[in-house]
Amino acid sequence: MGSVTFKQLRKSYGTVEVLHGIDFKIEEGEFCILVGASGCGKSTLLRMLAGLESVTSGEILINDKVVNDVRPKQRDIAMVFQSYALYPHMTVAQNMGFSLRLAGVPKPEIARRVGEAAGIIGLTEFLDRQPKALSGGQRQRVAMGRAIVRDPQVFLFDEPLSNLDAKLRVQMRAEIRTLQQRLGTTTAYVTHDQVEAMTMADRIVVMDAGIVQQQGAPLDLYDKPANRFVAGFIGSPSMNFLDAEVVEGGLRLASGHMIARPVQDVGRKVTFGIRPEHVEVGEGGAEATVDVVEPLGHETLVQLTYGDAPLTLLSRDRLSLKPGDVVPVRMDNPVHHLFDPDSGELI
Amino acid sequence: MSQAPERTNLGHYALVVVLALLATGPVYIMLMTSFKNQVDMFSRVPLWIFAPTLDNYSVVLFDKKFDRYLFNSLFVAIISTLITLALAGSAAYAIARKDFWGRGLVSYGNLMIRMVPPAVIAVPVFALWSRWGFSGRFEELWGLTLFYTALNLPFAIWLLFSFVKQIPEDLEEAAIVDGATPFQVFRLVIFPLMKSGYAVAAIFTFRIAWNEFLLALFLTGRKARTLPVAIQGFLTDEGVEWGRIMAMGTLIVIPSLVITFFAARQIITGLTTGAVKG
Repeated sequence: MGSVTFKQLRKSYGTVEVLHGIDFKIEEGEFCILVGASGCGKSTLLRMLAGLESVTSGEILINDKVVNDVRPKQRDIAMVFQSYALYPHMTVAQNMGFSLRLAGVPKPEIARRVGEAAGIIGLTEFLDRQPKALSGGQRQRVAMGRAIVRDPQVFLFDEPLSNLDAKLRVQMRAEIRTLQQRLGTTTAYVTHDQVEAMTMADRIVVMDAGIVQQQGAPLDLYDKPANRFVAGFIGSPSMNFLDAEVVEGGLRLASGHMIARPVQDVGRKVTFGIRPEHVEVGEGGAEATVDVVEPLGHETLVQLTYGDAPLTLLSRDRLSLKPGDVVPVRMDNPVHHLFDPDSGELI
Repeated sequence: MSQAPERTNLGHYALVVVLALLATGPVYIMLMTSFKNQVDMFSRVPLWIFAPTLDNYSVVLFDKKFDRYLFNSLFVAIISTLITLALAGSAAYAIARKDFWGRGLVSYGNLMIRMVPPAVIAVPVFALWSRWGFSGRFEELWGLTLFYTALNLPFAIWLLFSFVKQIPEDLEEAAIVDGATPFQVFRLVIFPLMKSGYAVAAIFTFRIAWNEFLLALFLTGRKARTLPVAIQGFLTDEGVEWGRIMAMGTLIVIPSLVITFFAARQIITGLTTGAVKG
């Protein structure tokens, strides 16, 4: 097990800087997920940690040792690629044992360790098959087996589940999490799927435009987002954002509806954020028009138009609404957030 | 409406038959003529049924020099193919994957060289040949091998380049993370995945070197003569020995055919790579 530290890490391609000073630490044995939209720099960061991209400035430390100029093979890391990157001309056993073979490990020892890893991931009977004879989930397991067999300091996962169908993804999510808990290996995992991040991580690092927006435990990010980006990114369906103004005794939404909440700076413009599960249909609410109703069985998702703004409502009840209905919606749940409309920071 | 596709098919079939006749007709005539005696060959009406004879083959095969011509041809074709593949594979990999100064120039220049017909370079090559002073059988064979390698390299590089391009870069990166050196990445991951590319390139380069006539005629003396040049020996003062020319022609075709049949599956893979997504 090892810890990973990024210190003021920057990456530029020519004159374009894509990572603007990344600072955070992944503790020993921690499952840390880097999450963000496409192009936010999360994969670049992981590839820099793997040694596949050079460091422009700053430092990467593994176990308190700077590894900026250390070659990938000497970093004691193992990586699972989005495409799995299994060697098509080798069998499962050869794929898993490739790194050991390169390291000059004796054949019986390779066979023992490959057998052991295959047992852990449940691929013992597939060791002689080639990757093309395996299903997507099995290939994914081989890719993990290839990482496990090396017993590295750090596991790196680059969007490993994006090529799987929805059902398999849920299953593999649990498998990877269970495996990591069992092995206790420090893990850096990149995904754009915030559900993956929420369900698997010990700690989430949210990135946008090459900087870390916020880091913390999944529920901390959900309950206390530092800014509008994190608030909108974490949680599905996304948080609702409505324009509002601070007035005597509370907030007045653009639609004219009042939210009772003591706020300073009367006259200040703010962005009012409320999660869909905290919006409810009820007497005394402001009127909104139903656009789409999505009954999910255990809950109902309703897309509405509130004033000029879109609004999402998530209810545990089976609401008998239909498009075009005008319903009163209440947003006076105490769990809501205010953001500065310019900087996006939490007020 | 339902008739239209059938008419198109008929037209296609007719075209295919004509093309097939054009392609196989000369081979058929060569093969048949090689089994005919002088009288049957020049019969006024083309003969479809005749008493086949192996005379032409026995003259060609039992000529003492045939072994030498065969060895010369095999020497230049096999060695130039091996050198071409070794150089082209690494060059294609470098052009496809490595970032180096002049990479664009190398890849475009490569394509442009490919457009020059071999006949055009015959004279400059002859000038070089004279300056370097190749003489004696093996010096000339090595010289010819060198020029065939130079002639074939651009095409082989271009062909193998498209094979390297198809190999996902993730595989190389996975190998690097697994601890492979750049040479190990090439030898253990890239090379095995390019095998079909090498097979295709081998067939093309072997056939070009094996069949080449013009440079071999200009550059080699009596002892280093290759089979295609040796055929010319049957154009004598006493006349053209068609039967022997055809017999030799048929014999020359055999190695190319054997190689092509053995590697047919690989060729098909090679020609259709990149044709479909995924």
